[in-house]
Amino acid sequence: MNMNPRQKLSVILVLLGLVLAFLPLSGKYSFHGKPDQLLLRALDESSFFTADQVARFVITEDSTVQLIDLRPQQEFNRFSIPGAVNVPYKNMLQKDMESYLGRDVRTIFYANGDRQANYALMIAKGLGFDNTYVMKGGLNEWYRLVMNSSFTGEKITARENALFETRIRARKMFTELNSMPDSLKARYRESKEIERKKLDGGCE
Amino acid sequence: MKNKYMNPYLAGTLLGLVLLSSMYIAGRGLGASGGLKYCVVSIVGAVSKPHAEKSEYYSKYFEDEQKPLFNWLTMIIFGVLTGGFISGAVSGRLKFKIEKSPNISNVRRLIFAFAGGMLFVYGGQLARGCTSGAALSGMAVLSLAGFVTMMAIFGSAYFFAWFFRKNWI
Amino acid sequence: MGPFTSAAGFPVWLDLLIAIIIGIGFGFSLEQAGFSSSRKLAGMFYGYDTTVLKVFFTAAIVALVGSQFLSYFGLLNLNLVFVNEYYVTSAIVGGVIMGLGFIMGGFCPGTGVCAMSIGKIDALFYVLGGLTGAFLFAETYPLIRPFAEDAYRGPVKVNEVLGLSPGVFTLLLIVAAVAMFWVAEIAEKKFARPEITDKI
Repeated sequence: MNMNPRQKLSVILVLLGLVLAFLPLSGKYSFHGKPDQLLLRALDESSFFTADQVARFVITEDSTVQLIDLRPQQEFNRFSIPGAVNVPYKNMLQKDMESYLGRDVRTIFYANGDRQANYALMIAKGLGFDNTYVMKGGLNEWYRLVMNSSFTGEKITARENALFETRIRARKMFTELNSMPDSLKARYRESKEIERKKLDGGCE
Repeated sequence: MKNKYMNPYLAGTLLGLVLLSSMYIAGRGLGASGGLKYCVVSIVGAVSKPHAEKSEYYSKYFEDEQKPLFNWLTMIIFGVLTGGFISGAVSGRLKFKIEKSPNISNVRRLIFAFAGGMLFVYGGQLARGCTSGAALSGMAVLSLAGFVTMMAIFGSAYFFAWFFRKNWI
Repeated sequence: MGPFTSAAGFPVWLDLLIAIIIGIGFGFSLEQAGFSSSRKLAGMFYGYDTTVLKVFFTAAIVALVGSQFLSYFGLLNLNLVFVNEYYVTSAIVGGVIMGLGFIMGGFCPGTGVCAMSIGKIDALFYVLGGLTGAFLFAETYPLIRPFAEDAYRGPVKVNEVLGLSPGVFTLLLIVAAVAMFWVAEIAEKKFARPEITDKI
């Protein structure tokens, strides 16, 4: 059977189209994660920040970092880490992920403990959002290290001093924010609202 | 004579691969009218900086000491000039020529070319893309705007074709 | 995983160099297809030359199919590829103006620049007109701004509006294109004008 170029092209394209139509592509998001990659991820320290490191970001109001609080909205409203934005874990995929993960900042997930943050990290990285991290130990660890810790003993090194300073200041900011009346808290949070990332492109 | 150009399906595949590589490397499609716009912006900026800074349209291109000429879209245009030239040189098609129906004068063709260009780019800026930027690249990412713009262009051209037939046939 | 330039922090000069290289490929393909000839382009609307349809849809579909396969194999993150935004009135009105400009001038900006590069004088005048058009738009912008920003819908995807998956829509588009190619070849025979096609 002798086919002209048009017919050959048509057959190829229709076959490819059929493959695409029936391929298990999850519409918008496709998860990429081979088991060996996923295995190594938990061992990769570079994806984890300690509560102290996060405290440092908070007191310096580091704009290269954004904190995502994965807890339900009511818990978030009661208290949260200053500067954090609330994306409840259950709604993580429903919201337009691009708008909060596709930005040029480092995203640090946290929840009460480790579990949800770790899963959120796995999902985000699998969907291609690589600039994502977790605060080790979650809010439990934040409380233990930043809020409730104290220094005993008289002789403290410069390093311990710096750590102490950071914790005290973060503690102050945390208490201040979370003891504000609800209206003020809401306004503070709105000012931290997520801006849509603008993709580069078009012909304008 | 009919075989001197590349087979359209092959050329289309080649163009599609160029578009695909642009999407893959830079996360954006092709574009042409935007490049012309940036040329105009740089010229205006060079001729009269105060006018550019006062205007609500030009000023955004001069924020942060940007140089409008060094922009993705302008570079694409320079590339098109080069690529077209190479192709023409390789295929023996380099020639000064005015293409038109033999029934009209050269002057008439040039006037229509100028007017057509003016209208097209004006419309292109409004629609935020031309046939390459909005329609072609838009269709490749399944953008609704791309499809709508493409249908508007084709529909309109077919509609007006009868009125300008003397220029071509 | 692509796309690379923004996330990988490419230096600006590399970004622009890549643009030039892609532009060269763009110009080369256009000229090879014969789009450096205004009479060939205009032929689409008089029936004697349907190259525009064939090249245009083949290119769009190749890129569409290719990008989806790349995404499936984890090589391209489609969420980071620009989708142009839909302004209803501007898209339609701009498109109509462009259609008129096309049939008058015989080019679109990409093909115009490409034709200019091989010496077509009508293309040169087209591009000069184009620069003027861009200038006019910039100067009249304050007047038409409300019109230009009307009816914003965001980067809407056509398959989402139709409630189809990208793959299924792609298949439908391919089938439609194949049908159009077949009709185009019939039309070319019916409206043939060898006195033109032999010379362009």
